[in-house]
Amino acid sequence: MTLDLSVAVGGVALRGPVMAASGTFGYGTEVPLLERRALGAMVSKGIFLKPRAGTPPPRIAETPSGMLNAIGLQGPGVEALIRDYAPRWAEWDFPVLVNINGESAAEYGELAARLDGVPGVAGFEINISCPNVEQGGLYFGNDPRAAAAVTEAVRKRTNLPVWVKLTPMVSDIGIIARAVESAGADALCAINTFVGMSMDLNAYRPRLSFRTGGLSGPAIRPLAVHLAHQAARAVGIPVVGIGGIARPEDAMEFLVAGCAAVQVGTATFVNPRAIAEVHDGIAAFLAARGLESLADLPRYLPRD
Amino acid sequence: MFLIDAPITGKRQVARGMVVIAMEAADIASCVRAGQFVNLGWSRGPLLRRPFSVYRVDGDRIEVVLKEVGVGTTQLLAMEPGDVVSCLGPLGRGFELKPGPRTICLVSGGLGVAPMPLAAKEAAALGMRVTWVHGARSEAELCSEWDGDEVIWATDDGSRGVKGTAVAAAPDADVVLACGPNRMLSSVAERWPGAMVAVETYMGCGTGVCLGCAVPLKKGGYDRACKEGPVYRASDVDWGALPSHLPYAVTA
Repeated sequence: MTLDLSVAVGGVALRGPVMAASGTFGYGTEVPLLERRALGAMVSKGIFLKPRAGTPPPRIAETPSGMLNAIGLQGPGVEALIRDYAPRWAEWDFPVLVNINGESAAEYGELAARLDGVPGVAGFEINISCPNVEQGGLYFGNDPRAAAAVTEAVRKRTNLPVWVKLTPMVSDIGIIARAVESAGADALCAINTFVGMSMDLNAYRPRLSFRTGGLSGPAIRPLAVHLAHQAARAVGIPVVGIGGIARPEDAMEFLVAGCAAVQVGTATFVNPRAIAEVHDGIAAFLAARGLESLADLPRYLPRD
Repeated sequence: MFLIDAPITGKRQVARGMVVIAMEAADIASCVRAGQFVNLGWSRGPLLRRPFSVYRVDGDRIEVVLKEVGVGTTQLLAMEPGDVVSCLGPLGRGFELKPGPRTICLVSGGLGVAPMPLAAKEAAALGMRVTWVHGARSEAELCSEWDGDEVIWATDDGSRGVKGTAVAAAPDADVVLACGPNRMLSSVAERWPGAMVAVETYMGCGTGVCLGCAVPLKKGGYDRACKEGPVYRASDVDWGALPSHLPYAVTA
């Protein structure tokens, strides 16, 4: 029996369902001990039009089974990305999506237009869910009209696949998911980090200089499975599950919950081989149950 | 860079609350340079790995030195020979000593002894005369081990050696290396702008990906303690913007 792990997600053909999540894989050149065979795709660190310094330290704080981060989308800007990284991506045997960010819908559109047609750029993940920037980010992600406006602004400027990464900081993720689908998104990524806070009891102030940070890691996994499932029930386009995946069975939970594929994030910080282990474990899971492809996997996705 | 399941081979106490742990990690032992570090993780440990400068190398073994500062180090200190830690390294850019200088002064405060034995060894191999100025709050907290041609002890309370800081007690030399609390390194920068210092930050991945270990630079912007650092020219760091006290206690 040959096992087929390939899957098509919103116009992107993946050889396997496990991707590297934005912000946890740099631009693909930094991760040590990289096993490319296991990568379905990579999503780049979030990029703006212009370079950004990021937030002052401390930027990270460990919490029970998780971490808070407030990096503030430090990055070299789109021109440096095109010059320094895209040419390498063009030679790789897996697609690279660029995580794009802006302070206005127009800026997102500008970024998409600038990157459209650049060899090495296979598609976009619109970040309307970063909790660590003063302008934009989360603001676009928790308002259905703003989320749709950003999606539309990008959709108009590119024919490449457009994915939208959703925030969990909403009362009904289905409303945002549907708004973004109607605006032309090819797939959704659910979810980005939760906004959290932790106090330094010696200094009587927050442990992070930005005060709050995005919570990631196994701590958020059940919350993420639920939200990814809610999003998948709300829309017809594929949903990519993200949140606390460190082991194969974690990924399987998202797939059974209705996701087409998954992204592994924080686990890569701890275990540089996490993506390969998750990929291989999914293959073993399917093989052990006599399933020949992901299409054969039973999903729990009741439609109301 | 290697990812090794490293069995612990021994432990010894070198000061009050300060312990050296040795582990077998041949690939890392054979190539690690002074000032580089390893990122350690262990099963049922905290989520993130914990970074430690490599203290000594002995054959196939590397050593790290630590103090109990939070839940991670408490667990690590409870391990016994035979227990296995996952060891990622060597990481970062070390002191990168070059031939030429005739004298070198190593200035350490408290746990800042961590990169110094390897630095002393590399400096001696390059023909330098090594002076190690060894500071702590009190005699009990002074690491009992030192290397080089000469040692100068300094304690805040005068219980051993010179009363006062290691920086004040240090002689000038062709090259100065320093490691200790960021407050101390900031005074190193005032006295010897060209000194090479190993900074302390929170760290996530240790490999340059997460951008969590930002070091603010005088010229503006940040770079990564784990990749461009942890060793910097003292005058390059914006000490006022680098937290001088890391609130370690983590309730993970």
